[in-house]
Amino acid sequence: MTGRGRSTSPRRQPGHSRQASNDDNISDTRQIEAFGRTVQATASQLIFPGNDQHGTDPYKSALTSVQRQLRRPLIQRSVFSFTQQSPRELLRGKFSTSEVEHRALSYIPQELIRTAPAGQSPFSLFEGFKASLPDTEDDGRGGRRKRHGRNGSKLLEGPQEHKGPPQLVKMKRERDKLDHRLEMMGIRKTMCASEIREIDTKIANMNTMRRVVLERLAGLEQEEHDMEVEIGDLAERVAEMQEMLEDEEALAKQSPSLIAEGEAERRAADKKLETEEDDEEAEADMDASFMSESIYGKLPKAQESPRSKAKRRMPKRTISMPVLHEHMEPGTKIRELQAHNDVITAMDFDAPFGTLVTAALDDTVRVWDLNAGRCMGMLEGHLSSVRCLQVEENLVATGSMDASIRLWDLGQADYNPAQAAASNNITDKSSEAEDAEADKGSDAALFTPAASVADLASQPPPQGDAMADCHLFTLSAHVAEITALNFRGNTLVSGSADKTLRQWDLEKGRCIQTLDVLWAAAQAQTTTVNTSAAATPASESGGWWKSGAGRLRGSAEAAEQAEADFVGAVQVFDAALACGTADGMVRLWDLRSGQVHRSLVGHTGPVTSLQFDDVFLVTGSRDRSIRIWDLRTGTIHDAFAYDQPISSMQFDARRIVAAAGEDVVKVYDKADGRQWDCGAGVLAATAETTSRPSVVERVRIKDGYLVEGRRDGVVGVWSC
Amino acid sequence: MANGLFWLPDAADAESPLKPAELQILRSQYEKEGEYVSLQTKFNYAWGLIKSNNRLDQQEGVRLLSEIFRASPDRRRECLYYLGLGNYKLGNYAEAKRYNDSLLDLEQGNLQAQSLRQLIDDKVAKEGLMGVAIVGGVAAAVAVGVGMFVRGAQRGKR
Repeated sequence: MTGRGRSTSPRRQPGHSRQASNDDNISDTRQIEAFGRTVQATASQLIFPGNDQHGTDPYKSALTSVQRQLRRPLIQRSVFSFTQQSPRELLRGKFSTSEVEHRALSYIPQELIRTAPAGQSPFSLFEGFKASLPDTEDDGRGGRRKRHGRNGSKLLEGPQEHKGPPQLVKMKRERDKLDHRLEMMGIRKTMCASEIREIDTKIANMNTMRRVVLERLAGLEQEEHDMEVEIGDLAERVAEMQEMLEDEEALAKQSPSLIAEGEAERRAADKKLETEEDDEEAEADMDASFMSESIYGKLPKAQESPRSKAKRRMPKRTISMPVLHEHMEPGTKIRELQAHNDVITAMDFDAPFGTLVTAALDDTVRVWDLNAGRCMGMLEGHLSSVRCLQVEENLVATGSMDASIRLWDLGQADYNPAQAAASNNITDKSSEAEDAEADKGSDAALFTPAASVADLASQPPPQGDAMADCHLFTLSAHVAEITALNFRGNTLVSGSADKTLRQWDLEKGRCIQTLDVLWAAAQAQTTTVNTSAAATPASESGGWWKSGAGRLRGSAEAAEQAEADFVGAVQVFDAALACGTADGMVRLWDLRSGQVHRSLVGHTGPVTSLQFDDVFLVTGSRDRSIRIWDLRTGTIHDAFAYDQPISSMQFDARRIVAAAGEDVVKVYDKADGRQWDCGAGVLAATAETTSRPSVVERVRIKDGYLVEGRRDGVVGVWSC
Repeated sequence: MANGLFWLPDAADAESPLKPAELQILRSQYEKEGEYVSLQTKFNYAWGLIKSNNRLDQQEGVRLLSEIFRASPDRRRECLYYLGLGNYKLGNYAEAKRYNDSLLDLEQGNLQAQSLRQLIDDKVAKEGLMGVAIVGGVAAAVAVGVGMFVRGAQRGKR
């Protein structure tokens, strides 16, 4: 009896209260309270079944404590949910592992459920389901079966079945079936379209995330760079300190009087230093004055005391590798510098975000810090403009029209990148605001642009003597202008307008070998059948190259033709040398023998650029083509034609880039096999501004970091 | 929300399973599309699974629907209904109620959701009733037994 009483009352009352209340929310406190009261009432009924007075007191206290417990919302809720479930369900949920597993897998948090948006598609999933279900209904039964919505037409057709001959009826039914299928197709197409829209939204979200993470990467790279600078600094000071300590020790073994002298000097130097501003140079100064006065005066004076600043080496990247440009969209502008005011004649850089050296027709050679976007200094010494240069780590080789080659060591430069960054901040903020507004894509804001094209005036001029100590030595055995050079390790090869190639040893600074191109060419000619000029070794027949000997400035011919250099490009690798000459031939030399062992015939115009790796040799020439040669067979592997003569070309692991007389850089992607344009001209073509960027003259690429130099002296840095 | 009468299936529709051949077609379509399976294919397969009478299939269907729910915000409200229906079939009435009530919160005028709610409540009451009746009967038997034992002890004392 009591059992049955128990079964009905707790069940019905919450049910009633549920039906009574409008809000069916599980966590409704009203319901929970009602339930609690019900339980209470029932419990009190059960525990005080009648007039039993004896056992009430302990039971009352127990009940009040239980009441208090029940008031706690968590317990109330759990008990309430207990009533929502059936006991079988409860058991299943607690004891069956597969059930628990399933519930865990398909659990959806309440948050997602609450914020479910209203659907935007015209068709529901169920309608799509009906549309895509294979139509397995038999013809005869299709009309009679009751179907939803769209197939209502079939119902109408049903009674008409019996009219007309059976074939007609059958065909009509077929037609109707196909009509119906066509409608279903429409639904399915709409489903796909809505799915595509959803995917687009997701892609947009992902792109936003990508941008955020890319900015984070940029920040980290900047920090990395700064840290490298600091490490370099500290390493130097550690070395200096150690040297000093060693000197002191050695000196301590000598007479003690000298120690006292040294001490006095040091104190004097200290006092002198207190008046100076720069405290950080204290050790260096101390070192200088100490060494100049003591018995160590016999040693060559390392530094004169007037020089207050210690030399700061350029921070060499030891561990950090800049990878930011690899993650940017191909074709994004990283930077643009107004490097010179005249045509860029030569350009090279050592590493992405490293050091860039540019030379122009204004007879100057400038060194740039690509990370800060600032000019570090100028390499002075050449008597006329530099035609070719190469940068390899800290070593720069420049070949000029004054027939000399100069070697420079950038490690000796007096450049303080931290100061550069600090002084740039004022200009940066103004130009950064410009870039943030301009719709160039968010990657532009990643870099603090030190100088936009219009911002040249506000840029602080480079320190005059920053590069004064960089010059190592000069190689001057050529008698005409140097038009191409390349060095690797200790060997440098240069090509000149005096129609010779010279091989130099960079350790000793002497010329090892001179290769006479004409003589070697004549040798090759006598042994092989040659189609073009039948020139004798001694003659300088004009049939060789279009412009005649050397430079012909102011001649009647076009400017491009006039500048056809005899040796357009060289590259050296151990004992192998490749050179491209104005007759369109590419000659492969063996430096040990000094002979040409192979000639690659194919170009019909002067070769202007050349590069080889293990397998391929790529050449660009004024005949508007780029050719890729297979080094093993000596035959052409591939060729590309362009609209204008190629003035410069380089390739890295993935792409071949060329300057082909346009305001964009032509990029050929070896992986995809597709050609595309990268550079300022791409944007200008769509923007239709009056001032188009000028023609690209030189290009350099390394790991997707593209630097291009233009005719108006602007240098653009792009991610490729 | 005027979505038409046939936007969602009736609960009765879930009780009529597809033919095994049809379900197999849906399954092969789902598996053929591989990693980038389209929404419609996945739903078709999930709905076919829910309609079946095999408990494992029903569970799989519910799991697929929860994946669809997470993946596609546009379709979440529909999925709530299917999840409610699937859980109702499985006997997980608490979950079914949670999903269905959330759907009704968002769309008060949804007829199918209202009828599903009624079904769930009835089922819970019925099952609860039965279960508690069983428990009550057991408890009653135990109480009677204890009572008899106590009386026997009391008599024994006297």
